[in-house]
Amino acid sequence: MKHAAPAPPAAGAVAPPPPATPDPALADGATVTVAAASVWFGAKVALSEVTCSFGPGVTGLLGPNGAGKTTLMRAMTGAMPVNSGAVRVIGRDPRTERSVQHSIALVPEDEAVPPMLSARGLVGYVADLHGVTDRGAVDRSLAAVGMLDAADRRVGGFSKGMRQRTKVAAALVTDPQVLVLDEPLNGADPVQRLALIELFARLGAAGRTVIVSSHVLHEVERLADRVIVLLHGRLAAAGGHRAIRDAMADRPRQVFVRSGEARALGAALLGLESTAGVTLADGTLVVATSRAGELAHALPRLARQVGARLEEVRPVDDSLEAMFRELTR
Amino acid sequence: MTDVPEREEGIPGATASRTAPPPPHGASSPAGTRSRRPRPALIAVFAYTLRACVPARRRAVLVLPTLAAVAFGLLSQATGDPAPQAFSSVAGLALFGLIVPLACLVLGDAVLGAEVRAGTLAFTWLAPVPFPVIVVGRWLAGWAAAVGSLVPAAVAGAVAAGAPESAGPAVAGVVAGSAAYIAVFVMIGCTVRRAAVWSLALVFLVERLLGAALTGIAQLSPTWESQAVFNGYAEGTFDQVRDGIPQGGDAIVRLALITAVTLAVASWRLAHLRLSGAGD
Repeated sequence: MKHAAPAPPAAGAVAPPPPATPDPALADGATVTVAAASVWFGAKVALSEVTCSFGPGVTGLLGPNGAGKTTLMRAMTGAMPVNSGAVRVIGRDPRTERSVQHSIALVPEDEAVPPMLSARGLVGYVADLHGVTDRGAVDRSLAAVGMLDAADRRVGGFSKGMRQRTKVAAALVTDPQVLVLDEPLNGADPVQRLALIELFARLGAAGRTVIVSSHVLHEVERLADRVIVLLHGRLAAAGGHRAIRDAMADRPRQVFVRSGEARALGAALLGLESTAGVTLADGTLVVATSRAGELAHALPRLARQVGARLEEVRPVDDSLEAMFRELTR
Repeated sequence: MTDVPEREEGIPGATASRTAPPPPHGASSPAGTRSRRPRPALIAVFAYTLRACVPARRRAVLVLPTLAAVAFGLLSQATGDPAPQAFSSVAGLALFGLIVPLACLVLGDAVLGAEVRAGTLAFTWLAPVPFPVIVVGRWLAGWAAAVGSLVPAAVAGAVAAGAPESAGPAVAGVVAGSAAYIAVFVMIGCTVRRAAVWSLALVFLVERLLGAALTGIAQLSPTWESQAVFNGYAEGTFDQVRDGIPQGGDAIVRLALITAVTLAVASWRLAHLRLSGAGD
């Protein structure tokens, strides 16, 4: 697993005894803990000894299709047993202790909703099962996801985005401490996405544990303070997405450089051992490097040497998409 | 790890807590200051199951058993036997061997198995409600729908056969038989993925085929036991009585036992269910 670890001390310095490095896969004040959890279906391993935890705030659970995100989320809520290892929600086993369901809510990915019920009927049913006594809770949860106007329509006639929002409302009405959202933005239009992202952020800021999986990675970048990356059922990385990216400095990265002397600068960059390649187009450079740190130090020096002025320098693949590409390479 | 950090009560802009008054930062709603009396979980599950699984626009289908029973009742008049005996041999057999099992299969699958397959059971399963309450609530809803559909069928079939005095025993048979059948199909629904196929196999292969040959199987069969309820109370059914199978009230007790055992197994199975999505 890739950890976003702190930088090592400078060479030659007398290093104090190293403090215990906190495992970025483990959250402070964790409400959900996953300990060496494995899940398999026959010969197919969906989760393999995953250890991580989730605390207050928004955590993004990321990974390509088949990475095990949905399985992990279902295991967290007790909907799916783990074959080995353990999952605890507020210290209790969600699989065997029904009272845990007072504290956790799942918004599943699939579109399945009871088609004959209205949105209000579905949310009210969930409220009944959870013993919600607040009369306004149903309408407020529908309003929070922008579904109040359609509350009395049958959910069978809803679009995918409306179904997702209705399921989010059904989860919110139980006032859960832990909210597990499996691709909650699927089907939502841009305005609804923004509203949902803001809602989840508010929940996280209010001390709820919000766990969101999504394939819309740039939105998760905006939403999640912390990221857990799963690949092939294994924990691949954990931490802030930039920290994860920095921890992967030895992996190939691309850096965009705009300069008035692009050709000369590109030639100088090719002399660097860490430069894997340079692409020149329209006075700009895209530098491929296996050691971004070295490039960052060398670039200003080389620019001075060739008399070039650096107008813009930025990574071109500092996104989670790029992180996935590199992790899956 | 188990220390729970403090959090604000109520979901900001969304809802309020279960028991506390709505939070000051919640979306303003005059209704939010009033308390709501949630329905007991059993009632909620029962009502949801009736609405979601036996929806209004499909309730017309519940008339089909009555139409079939009337058809078999009229057919029994062609035998030339006394009406009670003719009803027993033709309509009774059709009622308990075909109409009741098929109607209960459709309803029993709808109240649980179909929801497991569709993935909508998650709304119920992921609630802090004991599994036996979920199972019993769903079984009650299925049984209520079955009784609403099959009791008129039993009465109409007896009347159409010219044996109105057989209506009471027929009603007793379908009420007790449908209770056991719905329980069996609820159990199958949370045990196997292809519940409808397994249910059909149970009815036609195990009950009808093997049950006709082996009394031991017939003693555990809702078909044979519900017919034994009818035989025990109705007149002119002497040729339908099978040795070794209790009749009348004893058969009702047997059906009650089948119901209780299968519901217990269904609760256990539900607790161990691996909930997957519709697409899995």
